[in-house]
Amino acid sequence: MTYGTTVPYPAPSPGPQDRARTAPAGTASEAPDLPRLLPVHGAVPVDLRTHLSRYGAPPYFGHPGKLIPVLKVAGLTGRGGAAFPVHRKLQAVGEARTRPVVIGNGAEGEPASDKDKSLLWISPHLVLDGLQLAAEAVGSEAVGLYVHRNARLQERLRAAVAERAAARADLAPVEIIDAPPRFLAGEESALASRISGQPAMPRFKPPRVFERGVVGRPTLVHNVETLAHMALIARYGPAWFRSVGTRDEPGSMLCTVHQADGRRGVVETGLGTPLRDLLQLEGTQAVLSGGYHGAWVPSADAAHMTLSNEDLKAAGGFVGAGVLVALPAGRCGIAETARVARYLALESAGQCGPCFNGLPRIAAALDEVASPRPDPRAVTDMIRWAALVEGRGACHHPDGTTRFVRSALHVFREEIRNHSAGRCVDPAREPFLPLPADTALDAADWS
Amino acid sequence: MNGITQSTALWYASRATGVVSLLLLTAVVLLGVLVNRQGRLPGLPRFVVTGLHRNLSLLGVAFVAIHVITAVLDPYVTIGIVSIVIPFASAYKPLWLGLGAISLDVVLALILTSLARARMSRRLWRSLHWLSYVAWVSALVHSLGSSNDLHGGVLLYMAIACTLAVIAAVAWRITHAGREIPREERAAATLARMSPARAPETRGTPRNDARPPASGNRAPENVR
Repeated sequence: MTYGTTVPYPAPSPGPQDRARTAPAGTASEAPDLPRLLPVHGAVPVDLRTHLSRYGAPPYFGHPGKLIPVLKVAGLTGRGGAAFPVHRKLQAVGEARTRPVVIGNGAEGEPASDKDKSLLWISPHLVLDGLQLAAEAVGSEAVGLYVHRNARLQERLRAAVAERAAARADLAPVEIIDAPPRFLAGEESALASRISGQPAMPRFKPPRVFERGVVGRPTLVHNVETLAHMALIARYGPAWFRSVGTRDEPGSMLCTVHQADGRRGVVETGLGTPLRDLLQLEGTQAVLSGGYHGAWVPSADAAHMTLSNEDLKAAGGFVGAGVLVALPAGRCGIAETARVARYLALESAGQCGPCFNGLPRIAAALDEVASPRPDPRAVTDMIRWAALVEGRGACHHPDGTTRFVRSALHVFREEIRNHSAGRCVDPAREPFLPLPADTALDAADWS
Repeated sequence: MNGITQSTALWYASRATGVVSLLLLTAVVLLGVLVNRQGRLPGLPRFVVTGLHRNLSLLGVAFVAIHVITAVLDPYVTIGIVSIVIPFASAYKPLWLGLGAISLDVVLALILTSLARARMSRRLWRSLHWLSYVAWVSALVHSLGSSNDLHGGVLLYMAIACTLAVIAAVAWRITHAGREIPREERAAATLARMSPARAPETRGTPRNDARPPASGNRAPENVR
């Protein structure tokens, strides 16, 4: 399935009520083909009127739980990175005995990912539709949208919510909640902590957030892209959703693509798209998939892979939140990995000994390996520490970091040998992978 | 050897394993304080502190098991098997042995909850773990009262040393409670220690929040 097919949006229909589920699911002339979440031409932010004329009113079911079997057939999985089946989360929260809370997670802590903020900027109403549909499905009236501290984006979102309230498009009022600019701020339990009034730090599980989350209530957390897909599946049906993607990994997703020449953008593509259709692989040495908790894959292998967990997991990677970075041939992959590892170490919440002790050690050892004629013990030390650190934290920060580092040690082993001989492919060390300018310094940075 | 019958062998075994159990339990409590303070044993890797704390507690249970079983089997005194876990239920020295039973009950609860730690709430596990101090005090008083062994000689000095060590450890824990590095700063502190030349920057640099596209109309770039 190629992406970027320019299919014009369906012409405005007589009235939103007439459109709601009268069109047979999957009717090609009604339902948009790729791109689905983002507009075909340009990126003009969509206001409520345009949204309603394009898609019709949100198709509320009138009763909790009705959306869940639709999502099950569609096979929608979370687009925040974990790819957990959406219907199962809704089912679990819907069965809770106390009133649940529903939160849209737009806190995109991954520095290399732009898709959530782009989606919120351009198509907030799709996200807000999905949020309301999810709230209806689990019988919740406490709804929030969790986004990073960004005045313009939050202002835009507040305006969108106000528009909807005035048009009575929403079942429940939506609160916009602030997230600190931390890598871990978007982790489910960190989100629950922050919204409960504490610092945005992960908590130990059990209990999981769907059992006890925000102020102790069962909490449904979905990535904003997942909610946007929900909003469309509710309108056009599961068969339409499955018309792109693969049988095991259906649907489309937003990817943040970083080309070797520095171009960076968000594209929507079907799962199963060959990576060579998304990235210019000539002149590159490796591809990073899944972001900074993902894994490096050599370009020679990436040329034969598709954007699917089936292919990427076999190479130690995963699709995650759709970050794809092509590393140019003339860069030092170890130096880039060392910079990111240092950032990840400093983003530790400092709650678990193995994490706040182990990750800085690993980062320091990577710095050592990235320097000329490194101590030969650095690599073996790193491998030993990685094994000690995995699975021993309240969250998966240490695990993701070690996955990233291990893949670098494997994919860039030639470069490590170079360094032992006192050479480096890129002594200038111009930074390539994006990182924020400053780091977390004290408690204020986590609230 | 004369005088060591089967009965007295059981009695000696019970007393000896009792002494070892007290030593092991003291070591476990001291290591527990060290784990909590995130301290290290000099020259040993960090994971050894937690590992030793856990393994010595299991070893301690093994010794306590032999200690109570030999005491029950010994025909010289009447100690019913029930009184191992039910406090104050034995015919012989019910008070002192009862304290031993309390200690054993608590230790078993701590070990079982620790084995099931992944499946229970952290807060609950932590609250229960505070009872370890109850277990230790109970074990000490039980040791002092159940026989005269600790009333003189080497074993008296041993008992005093154990007591002083636990008091010192608790005092250290209390006085250092407010002085630990706040969790938000721990990773940076470790990194600064590892590579002082590239220590993390200090406050003063402007924030670089995630921004929406610079103009309102940024297109998702066509990457072909």
